[in-house]
Amino acid sequence: MIGQLKILKWLFIFIFLANYSISIGQKATNDILINISTSVNTNDSLSIDKLKFYLSNFNLLKEGEIVWTEKKSYHLVDISKQKSQSFTFILLKSIEFDEVQFLLGTDSLTNTDGVMGGDLDPTKGMYWAWNSGYINFKLEGTSSPFPFEFHLGGYAPPFQTVQKIKLQTTNRNRLNIGLNITDFLNQIDLTKTHKIMSPGKEAQQLSILLSTLFSISE
Amino acid sequence: MNKNNIIAFLSVFAFFGSAMYFPYTTTPVKIKYPEYWPKPVYNFEKNPLTQEGIDLGRKLFYDPILSKDSSISCSNCHLSYTAFTHVDHKLSHGINDSIGNRNSPSLMNLAWHNSFMWDGAVSHLDFQALAPISHPAEMGENINNVILKLTKSTDYVKRFYQTFKDSAITGEYLLKAISQFELTLISCNSKYDSVMRKAANFTLQEENGYQLFKKECSSCHTEPFFTNGKFENNGIPLDSVLLDYGRYNITKNPNDSLKFKVPTLRNIEFSHPYMHDGRFKNLSEVLKHYTTKVFPSKTVSKHLGNSISLSSNQKVDLTSFLLTLTDKNFLFNKKNAFPRKFYFPSTEKK
Ligand code: HEC
Ligand code: HEC
Repeated sequence: MIGQLKILKWLFIFIFLANYSISIGQKATNDILINISTSVNTNDSLSIDKLKFYLSNFNLLKEGEIVWTEKKSYHLVDISKQKSQSFTFILLKSIEFDEVQFLLGTDSLTNTDGVMGGDLDPTKGMYWAWNSGYINFKLEGTSSPFPFEFHLGGYAPPFQTVQKIKLQTTNRNRLNIGLNITDFLNQIDLTKTHKIMSPGKEAQQLSILLSTLFSISE
Repeated sequence: MNKNNIIAFLSVFAFFGSAMYFPYTTTPVKIKYPEYWPKPVYNFEKNPLTQEGIDLGRKLFYDPILSKDSSISCSNCHLSYTAFTHVDHKLSHGINDSIGNRNSPSLMNLAWHNSFMWDGAVSHLDFQALAPISHPAEMGENINNVILKLTKSTDYVKRFYQTFKDSAITGEYLLKAISQFELTLISCNSKYDSVMRKAANFTLQEENGYQLFKKECSSCHTEPFFTNGKFENNGIPLDSVLLDYGRYNITKNPNDSLKFKVPTLRNIEFSHPYMHDGRFKNLSEVLKHYTTKVFPSKTVSKHLGNSISLSSNQKVDLTSFLLTLTDKNFLFNKKNAFPRKFYFPSTEKK
């Protein structure tokens, strides 16, 4: 009996180490590093206090066919948290792709399927308690003299706000995805629209505008 | 390998496995409900009930730690002996004596609800508790702060660990635990239920009332939950102070103006005052409304358009039927009440 236990112990250690080394081995070869950057020209008259948004449901495609799907694909990007602006796709084998697709925001299932943890945990300040649903995109700041607050979200028809983004890319181990906030603010008349805090037509229109401002940079 | 080897292998494996992942074991719980009820809407796979989780949720439900000044718990507005509503209060009372803008609804059979609040503002039970915790006129607190407070309590840290096997307390776990307790609040043992199970009979009066009910009321207050889960306008006029347009506030659709979620009528004897703003004190005022005062508006239900006509005898019959929906087993169930032993373990009488 004791002898068997000893062998078992070594077996466990062996399996453990084997797993470990496999995972180290993979990291070096196939993984893809994703960097999210937001460009905004802050100056004397423009300041940003908060910029947070969800990117979810990442897919990689080759000639229009999905070749890889990220599991549990939810990323809360927060400009005040460096770590939230990059993440890694861990791939088991090397794949070819020419397009990346993802959602700006969270899909309706995520909004109705019960509470979740991680980046979706309601402590992240991205959930509306009094009109249930995730806030997909939060931007707060001042373009003097106007303070602005955009909390964009809403999953229920007809005012769904989630947006599908499709970006062409050449296969590489690093994807730099940019969102141009300067363009966003330039295209809004801040004298008229400076506070959106609930789902509706305006939230939807601004979400559509945002979806056109993503790009991949070299 | 011979049989002994296999057993040795399995037991060692089981030991390693459990010691590594399950330093505490949890006790799974299945909710019980009549077999002629439909399947629950709540997805229990994503939040499997355990005795540890239910106990934790119950402790949280009764704990004022969830409010900013530690003065108000969920149970202040949802009292177990009155089917979890705030009896005798038209509008709910929160911290600093602030008064909310709605009457607290009774809480039961929540696993079968597909929306929450009078206007359906909340889409899933798990998220519901965020609303009272953060409402300035209810608990006025912030969920991150609640978690900070809970993390300072060794009893809570232990209970969260036992339930979720994680040393951190998160928003997800907090909300799931509260849901677990709420999901066990099932009322299915009223006289009406016994009659349905053919274990009792209605009196003649109750039977007459039941027939009237099926004719006049059950299109909205549909059996077995006594709600169809939809939003309807039952003809109560707009309160000129509260200006509450109900479902319209959420959808901004004019067809939803003045519609409210159809409330259950189970335990209706105890959940007065009635309606979203508690405007009616008793059932006779409610019946007076349905028979003479249905207020015409664009969205009022066609069924009620010209008020329902009921003789005074019929009103008595209908009321006696409504009283058969009282479920004493539910109202006085110790498992639903204040869990004294969770707060003061040493005083628990064996
Ligand atoms: C200050 C009083 C108050 C407190 C405290 C309170 N509630 Fe409520 N509760 C209400 C009111 C009022 C409503 C209806 C709100 C609405 O329709 O807008 C409600 C609605 C609900 C509902 C929805 C029921 C349904 O049928 O739609 C649930 C579930 C609930 N409360 C659970 C809780 C829990 C859990 C807590 C503690 C975390 C809590 N409540 C604390 C007053 C309160
Ligand atoms: C057209 C749908 C409809 C019909 C038919 C209807 N009700 Fe209602 N009932 C409602 C709605 C909606 C409410 C909540 C309204 C509100 O709070 O503004 C309600 C509320 C009530 C309440 C108060 C419950 C509480 O907890 O506050 C009682 C009691 C009640 N109805 C009894 C009846 C009876 C008895 C009948 C038949 C005579 C009836 N209802 C017919 C839709 C209906």
